[in-house]
This record gives sequence, C-alpha cells and structure tokens, in this order.
Amino acid sequence: MADTFSERMIDLNNVSKTYPLRTGRKVILKGATISLPWRNTAILGRNGAGKSTLLRLISGIEKPDTGTTSRHKTISWPIGFRGSFHHELSGIENVRFVARIYRQNTEEVIDKVESFAELGQFFYEPFKTYSSGMGARLAFGLSMAINFEVFLIDEVMAVGDERFQRKSKRAFSDRLPTARVIMVSHSMPALREHCQSGLIVDDGNLIYYEELEGAIEHYRALNA
Amino acid sequence: MSPLVTHISVIFALVLREARVRHGRARIGYTWAIIEPVLLISILTFLFQLIGTGGRSDFALFFATGVLSFQLFRNTSSYISMSFDQNRPLFNYPMVKPMDAALARLVLDGSTHAVVITLVLCFQIFALGAPPPDNIPLMFLTLFFLLMMAFGAGVSLAVIRRFMPSISNVYMVIMGPAFFVSCVFFSISTVPTLYRSVLVWNPLVHGIEGFRSGYYHGYHDADVDLFYLFTWVVVLNFFGLVGEWLTRFRSV
Repeated sequence: MADTFSERMIDLNNVSKTYPLRTGRKVILKGATISLPWRNTAILGRNGAGKSTLLRLISGIEKPDTGTTSRHKTISWPIGFRGSFHHELSGIENVRFVARIYRQNTEEVIDKVESFAELGQFFYEPFKTYSSGMGARLAFGLSMAINFEVFLIDEVMAVGDERFQRKSKRAFSDRLPTARVIMVSHSMPALREHCQSGLIVDDGNLIYYEELEGAIEHYRALNA
Repeated sequence: MSPLVTHISVIFALVLREARVRHGRARIGYTWAIIEPVLLISILTFLFQLIGTGGRSDFALFFATGVLSFQLFRNTSSYISMSFDQNRPLFNYPMVKPMDAALARLVLDGSTHAVVITLVLCFQIFALGAPPPDNIPLMFLTLFFLLMMAFGAGVSLAVIRRFMPSISNVYMVIMGPAFFVSCVFFSISTVPTLYRSVLVWNPLVHGIEGFRSGYYHGYHDADVDLFYLFTWVVVLNFFGLVGEWLTRFRSV
C-alpha cells in the first residue's frame, strides 16, 4: 500500500466535547488538536472514554462544543450494530433511502447490497425481523456500495459467520487503493489486521501513534 | 455538491420514507391517509346534522370548513411533534438533521391535507350543491398560517419531548376540548359577548373563522384577526427553532 502520510484525512483543531449527565458533565475531549493522515487507523480507549463519540465528531453527526473539525476526504457514517435502519421498512427500502440521501444511483446500490449482504427474501422483509448478524451484513454491505474514501467502523467487522468475514475482508482489500478505515474495536487481532496506525482516547486527550503497536502498548498500560 | 441540494434531497428521501411507514404499512398504502379524514368528516357531519344545527341549512359545508382547518392544525402538529423520536436511527447519517425530519413531515402532511381539503370541498360543491368559494387567496393564506402554526407547535413539542416525553399526553388532553372551543361547528359571531371575549384568545378560532370568511361571501368576520394568528405563528416557530438549536445533542 502506498504511503499516505502526506495526505490529510481529518483535522481536529482545539476540539472540546462534553455531555451533560445527571451527575455532572462527562468530558470526552478537552481541547484536542490533531491532524490524522489518510491511513488505516485504530481508535483505542477504555470503555466510556468516548471512542464512539469521536467517530460521531469525525463523521460530522455531532458538532464540537468549541473548536473545529475539517474533513479532507469523503467520510462514511459510523457503521455499527446499532441501528441506522428503520425497523418498519424492509432492507431494500432502507437501502433506497440511504442511496437517495447520498445521491447515488439507487438501482445500482440496491444490486450491490443485495448480492453482498446475502439476505435472500429477508431483503424484502421489515428490518425488525432481522437477526443482529443480518442487520450488520446489511449495514456493512450498504456502506461498501458507496464510494467513501474513509469508512468509520464501530465494532462491526467481526460479524457474521466465517464465510461472511472472509467476504468482508476481500471487499475491504478491494477498496484499499481508494479507501481507508477508522476503526473502533476491542479485538486486537481485528485491529492488527486492518490498521497501521493508532489513536488513543484517554481522559479527554488524543494521542496519535504512526505505528499501531505503539498505540496497543499504550492501551495495555491504560488497562493495567 | 452544494448544501442546499443535499438538504433538498434529504428532505425528499424522508418524505418518501415517511409516506411508506405512515399507516403501519397498510396494503393500500398512503391512500388511507386521504380516505381516513374524508370518511371521518363525512361521519361527523352526519352526526352533527342529526343532533341539530342551530337552523343552518348549509351545515354540511359549514362543518366541513371548520373540521378541515381544525384537523390540518391538530394532525400536522402532533405528527411533527413525534418527528425527532421516530426518526432517531436516521440521525446516524451526518446529513440528516432533526429539522429535516420535521420539514419532511410538514411537506407530507401539508400536501396530504391540501388533497383532502380539495376533495371534500369539491364534493360539497358538485355533489351537495354548496356555493363555490368566494376568496380563494384568503383561504390559502389562513390555511398557510394554520400549517405554519402547526409546524411551530410541532417543533416546540418535539423539543420539549427531549426532556419530558409526557408532554404529548398533555397536548392530547388540550386538543380534545379544543375541538369544542375553536368554532369548528359554530360561528364566533353567534357566541354571547361574554364568552366571545374569552374565545378570541384561542388562535385556532381566527384560523378557522378566517378560512370561512374566505369561503363565504360576506361572512360575519368582525372578530377575526389574522394578525393575531400570525403572531402565534411567529412566536411558536421562534420558540421551536431556537429551542431546537439550544437543545441539540442534549438527549443522544
């Protein structure tokens, strides 16, 4: 894979983000400034450190309290188990909706997702009848059908049976010349397989490691 | 692509999506959204005509104009008030914002009611021999005000629901009796002065009677104040839009 340190993916400039909880404010980021190069990047941090919130900030779903984010690549929505699908609508109707909002060719996207997700007749059934594996396959297949330059993946890679996992990996390596991934996972093997760099979220700070192993060591120290 | 184009395609996609799920995926689909109010109005008109109508010979038309404009407000506002909750999974896509969901419901419910109103009034004119409308632009204007007031009320309720979901029950409790004090089946000019001075605080009275004063030639509309209605439109929309902006991301 070509070295893409020189190409920027996303910049965070003095970004702060907090959440109000009943017992006070939860600080996710306090004045984080970082420029991520266009590389496959793992996001590591303890439970509740704000990894998913960071993905939401990167994707643009949420705005920082203060500071700015700038995106230099087309970035997907955070692809995860938790639904981005309407439960009353069928798989195909959900796919059609997403194709429309991303201004894609609807029929093309439907064809791609249908053959990738292998849902059979369930593709035409309401999403609420899906097993969690089927839901993840639909989510993954749908995101793969749109030409993003960066895929945000929230714990969704290691899903489905072995065959589907192989298929996902193949789909992913096919995209590598034009796409990178930012991935949240607690599975080190999955992160090692897909990522070269790492980003630690700890106590409101972000620490970037060009080499994933450095980030994994830091993460182990946090958990020690 | 420009933000405006993205915005429009998101709202368009939401309108299509909402139309698909509106009626529990009934087989006849969105047609039901048209049939239901038309049936309801016919039944209500029939019932009220049985009860007695204060001697109006044209009660069917009178009642239809009232209930059509009342339902435009009530249905649209409560439909919009649920738009944030019922579309929550879709806010996982960066370009889909809660206000888009509210706007999509405004477009969908606004056009649905436009069709219903046209159908019912045409039926009154061509089948029941009702007189044709007198001032169509004035009718449009009052319906537009009612629709925009529904948007303001709906968004305000959706914002309050972020902290207090039970507000919807309160709203239902208010909108039940509102049917009886909004001049749906009587005219403000027939109300005794004492009660009239209280009733005119209700903005729906001005919307509904304003709509009638557009339909009927020489309607007794001395108490109708469209500017008062417009004030409600501005206040509710201001509260809704500012409230939405201030409470964004508070309840994720």
